Amino acid sequence: MTATVRIAQLYPEILGVTGDRGNVRALQVRLERAGATVEVLPVGIGEELPADLDVLVIGNGPLSAMRGVHADLMARGDGIRSHVADGRALLAVGAGAELLSKGVTTLEGETVEGLGIFDATVARTKKRKVGYIVVETAVGRVIGFEDHASEWTLSDAAGSYGRVAFGQGGFALPDAGDQPARGEIIRVANAIAANIQGPMLPLNPELVREIITGVAARRDLELDLTIGVESLDTYAAGARAAIETLVHGKGFNSIQL
Amino acid sequence: MMSTAPQARSAGLRYVFPVLAGKLARFATRLRGGGSAFPGYLTNRLAPSLLPTLADQFRYGVVFVLGSNGKTTTTHMVSEVLRAHGLRVFTNPTGANLPQGVTSALLADATLTGRIKADVAVLEIDEGYAADLADRLSPSVILSLNVQVDQLYRFYETERVADMMLDASTRASAHVVVNRDDPYLSKIDVDAMRAPVSFFGVAPEIIAASAHGLVNAADTRSGNAGTAERDAYSEVRSVNGREVSIRIGEVDAAVRLPARGLHYAADAAAALAVASRVLGDEFSTDAAAQGFSRMAPAYGRGEVIPLRRDPAGEQVEFVMFKNAPSLQMNLDALDGAPERALMAIDEGTPDVSWLYDVDFHALESVDVVTGEKAYQLALALEHAGVRIGTVEPDMGKAVAMMRELPQIAAGRQIWFVNYELMMIGRRLLGHGDQEVARR
Ligand SMILES: [Zn+2]
Repeated sequence: MTATVRIAQLYPEILGVTGDRGNVRALQVRLERAGATVEVLPVGIGEELPADLDVLVIGNGPLSAMRGVHADLMARGDGIRSHVADGRALLAVGAGAELLSKGVTTLEGETVEGLGIFDATVARTKKRKVGYIVVETAVGRVIGFEDHASEWTLSDAAGSYGRVAFGQGGFALPDAGDQPARGEIIRVANAIAANIQGPMLPLNPELVREIITGVAARRDLELDLTIGVESLDTYAAGARAAIETLVHGKGFNSIQL
Repeated sequence: MMSTAPQARSAGLRYVFPVLAGKLARFATRLRGGGSAFPGYLTNRLAPSLLPTLADQFRYGVVFVLGSNGKTTTTHMVSEVLRAHGLRVFTNPTGANLPQGVTSALLADATLTGRIKADVAVLEIDEGYAADLADRLSPSVILSLNVQVDQLYRFYETERVADMMLDASTRASAHVVVNRDDPYLSKIDVDAMRAPVSFFGVAPEIIAASAHGLVNAADTRSGNAGTAERDAYSEVRSVNGREVSIRIGEVDAAVRLPARGLHYAADAAAALAVASRVLGDEFSTDAAAQGFSRMAPAYGRGEVIPLRRDPAGEQVEFVMFKNAPSLQMNLDALDGAPERALMAIDEGTPDVSWLYDVDFHALESVDVVTGEKAYQLALALEHAGVRIGTVEPDMGKAVAMMRELPQIAAGRQIWFVNYELMMIGRRLLGHGDQEVARR
């Protein structure tokens, strides 16, 4: 059985400066190797999103790019909300994730309104968080590189999908004992928001499988996610092991600016 | 159009102690192996006025070269063209483009009484420090090559980098030179500059014929993502391998680039614009072409080194990259897919997310993927559909593997490397000298 899975990337030219195409590529490559036909659609300002979309990806970019796409994105609000309510997949990273929060307060004190898909507010901060990050999640350790100057505040800590094991993360979690705890990654149904680059999906095969499994379940597709992925998994495991060794090594901290 | 040569400002005995202290510190750090910013720091503390005094002595002024990519190559080009016109050129070693590094370099050439024997200084300067250094060195000419997505972990946003260059440019006393084909730079506010602005560029049909154009950053803030229309004072008119023709003012200059690639052609147009502005009526296209012909490739930028220490045997061409635009431009410049290749990245490049923004179609396979980030690199190549021979994070072992592979017919293989592994790779091939003088 062949089925076509549709992945759209919103504003790839301006919200796509941190390898965000790699997240699309990871989904596409693994879906194709599992036997699906994949259609990847770059969608720019003023262009229509297909109605039967399976995955929506929104990437990272500067504040000016967020302002540049803002009116267009707000006009898509109902469509994106029903996409998420339908249980379809969404991945937003960095600026793209911020635009799906309830709003972003800039260093100048202005507010950039968000779509409110994720129940959190964002404040841009003077301090920048840069370096490798390791997060404990329901699908294992999610590993990547964080590089952002923002602090998220969740209305309810239950929206957190991960606890930071190494690195700084996006938001505070209720203290664990007397240790302050940090969280990263927010999930609502099959929509995921994060500040993790690398890009995140190529480095985290389990997270890709989680997203694809959701797509397959909703569409009632039978996909074998174990075929033809040996080298992808080997290289991802090698990259993950090298990062884990580095962050647990002596003297390694985050990048000094 | 030549800037008037300032009189040497009161260099003399009062600098003997600070200069001597700096030179001794420099000697001591050299003995310990390698350069250091400390001598520059020491001298700046002992005699803060030394730096402006040294800079004041260049008859043809001080030239700043800024840009996300191509600073080193272009600084080298401008220097060689000026030398071909008979000028004595002072230039900073590559990488020594931060304030203390520039001071250390000037110190090495200064006499004990704070005099410097050169006609012009051509300095590559880190964007982040350009305005600050301009206040101390009073450049006559400031060249900005391009604004490209680069080191976001350090610069945060590309438009900030554009503003650093444009802000520094307001400090040039004689000429501002910027890239017409760069969205941010083309929109320079000419009226906000003290000095007249000259543009350089590449003919539109040449850019259109290139796989990914010039890969300059899109302008995300003005509402016009592309460039503003400008007339180029210096324009690349034809490219044939390394042979290019550049219209400068009213005449055409035929020059041979130090390495293949449209980015090098654009750098050459920039270098000619700067040289022409520095020299005024003394500028000659013949001398300029001679300067280019004498240019050896800078370290790792098209440099060719024997693989097995045999000058007649198989060769390695080093292609250095530091970000997506520089890797893309180098891939686009390839003369067919390389028969044999090595690719290497280490932690000197902290975030490699941008690898997924590179189009690797120009490569079919990479024999050995190496460096601390070998697996991250291999993962990106695998997603791009590039065949991989072996992943070996240890560069030394990787080089041994390349040496053991049978010799290829082409006689030349390509190593794509980031800066740190370029230096290590050169050393492993027996070229262990530090990258110091750009001569
Ligand atoms: Zn292509």
